[in-house]
Amino acid sequence: MSELQPFAQETLRGLIRTWTDFERRLAKVPVLRRLDTGTFSVQDYQRLLFNLRAQVVEGARWITRAASSFDRHHADVRSIIISHAKDEHRDYEILEQDYVRAGGELEAIQAGERNIGSEALAAFLMHQATQPNPVDMLGAMFIIEGLGEKMASSWAARICELTGLPENATTFLGYHGVNDESHMERFYTMLDRVATTPERVAAIGKTARVVARLYALQLEELDNV
Amino acid sequence: MSVYLTQSACFLPGEPVDNERIETVLGRVHGKPSKLKRRILKSNGIITRHYAIDEQQQTTVQNEEMAVAAGKLVLERAGLEPRDIGMLAVATTQGDYVLPGFGSQVQAGLEIPRVELLTTHGICSCAMMALKGAFNAIKLGDQSTALVISSELCSRLLKRQRYEAASDSIGAQRGLDFNAEFLRWMLSDGAGALLLADKPASRGLSLRIDWIRSFSHADSYPVCMSVGNSGKGENAPKAWQDYETYAEAEIDGALLIRQDVRLLEHIVKLGVDGFLALIEEGVVDVPKIDHFLCHYSSHYFRGKIVDMLSKAGAMVPEERWFTNLYTKGNTGCAAMFIMLDEFLQSGKAQAGETVFCHVPESGRFNTVYMQLTCVEAA
Repeated sequence: MSELQPFAQETLRGLIRTWTDFERRLAKVPVLRRLDTGTFSVQDYQRLLFNLRAQVVEGARWITRAASSFDRHHADVRSIIISHAKDEHRDYEILEQDYVRAGGELEAIQAGERNIGSEALAAFLMHQATQPNPVDMLGAMFIIEGLGEKMASSWAARICELTGLPENATTFLGYHGVNDESHMERFYTMLDRVATTPERVAAIGKTARVVARLYALQLEELDNV
Repeated sequence: MSVYLTQSACFLPGEPVDNERIETVLGRVHGKPSKLKRRILKSNGIITRHYAIDEQQQTTVQNEEMAVAAGKLVLERAGLEPRDIGMLAVATTQGDYVLPGFGSQVQAGLEIPRVELLTTHGICSCAMMALKGAFNAIKLGDQSTALVISSELCSRLLKRQRYEAASDSIGAQRGLDFNAEFLRWMLSDGAGALLLADKPASRGLSLRIDWIRSFSHADSYPVCMSVGNSGKGENAPKAWQDYETYAEAEIDGALLIRQDVRLLEHIVKLGVDGFLALIEEGVVDVPKIDHFLCHYSSHYFRGKIVDMLSKAGAMVPEERWFTNLYTKGNTGCAAMFIMLDEFLQSGKAQAGETVFCHVPESGRFNTVYMQLTCVEAA
């Protein structure tokens, strides 16, 4: 496997560390700690989906916004981001179906209000995505893609095991693992392309840290609207 | 003051035991072969190991006797007398007695007079804690010579009688408990000893200890490897001594050695995190690492994390890895010293080369790193 150019390598090393720090923080979030200790309930799962939905709905919007903020000199990056957005921009519908299969009411989740963590996360992402050539969004993508993979590899089956819910109640969490390898290759290509100066290394790293913190906040503040 | 690792030795009890004979030594639980053995052995890749128990599961050599044997051999190799040792630092996961400290027993066995003593306790990483204690004492100028020993006798925890007595454990209730059996096919016995001094040895190669650093993450994650809890959660007593009798603790499975396999993935990532932190700090320069000694087998580092580290220019090429885990087994806290001994005796190290050691402990997630530089005789 070929190595990245030095600035991209530095960025990637920083992103891996931010990710590990994020996972460490997630391990302490009460609802996720219950997954580790084996006391996670169906109610926990419903709350989790209920609170995740807002971010998933907003996710499609900030990715497409970010794509439109790249100028013609970054058309190649824009293409990659557009195709990524197309893959995921209606994921919240899958999440809603899972919520119903887990015993929730469709109307209830659709009427759900963003918790205070989701508000902060959505506002930050939309703001950053609106800046000209927002290369720092790669930091956000790394965290959110990583979380998708974590949901698939370590949450979905564990939730079924602990709650007795059928596999088709965790399709949203489960399916993110499928395309992971091609997503990572796409990510490395973009990183190698845009992480070309110390300023960009710093910007990508900082946005990753902010997104990781706010994402954890969203999970810490379940139902706090 | 610089600190040098001037000599090493190890003690491995009995003959090597291969995968076919392993269950003859540890015993078949209720006379039945294990359903998980093959799968677990395949994943850890160990081919031979040593046990301090025989085929009747009787202990053939005590933990402290193994530590003493390794200690005596290192003194002999260095041409030193016990009285030449200023500090003795000893590590084990589980001494022969609950009390006193393991180091006291080892000092008595080695007959070292008036020594400064340190006993460290933990799992795999406690040997590195002992090593750092001794390293610091020499670096500060308090001592000029220190003997560091790490010894592990875990087969007493793994023998069939332990599982048979745990008649109301999770495994007994469900017929199978992966978490309580995982380590049965992983761990084995042995001891390693290192000699530290404030100057290089008068002959042969020495290793200057550049630094030892560690990062513990017990604040973030639940217990991953333990003895003392039944694994039954809130419905059972918290710790083995909270049962009315020790017998009840054993019946409930609170004395079995357990690994929460689901949490194990974190130790690889946290190991990587510490490594990247040291790169960021500027104390590690990956291309300069000539020999990489890791307490984990390289095949645990696979898939996405390896791709990422390779992309990020932070992967030590496989040909620079040195391990003897496959032939000497995973001897817990003794493993790194036993590996260092084989590495030094192998003659692979050349003056001027950099040796990097990594000990990740899954107990409650501690990661330790050490950098050594090979130097000529003084």
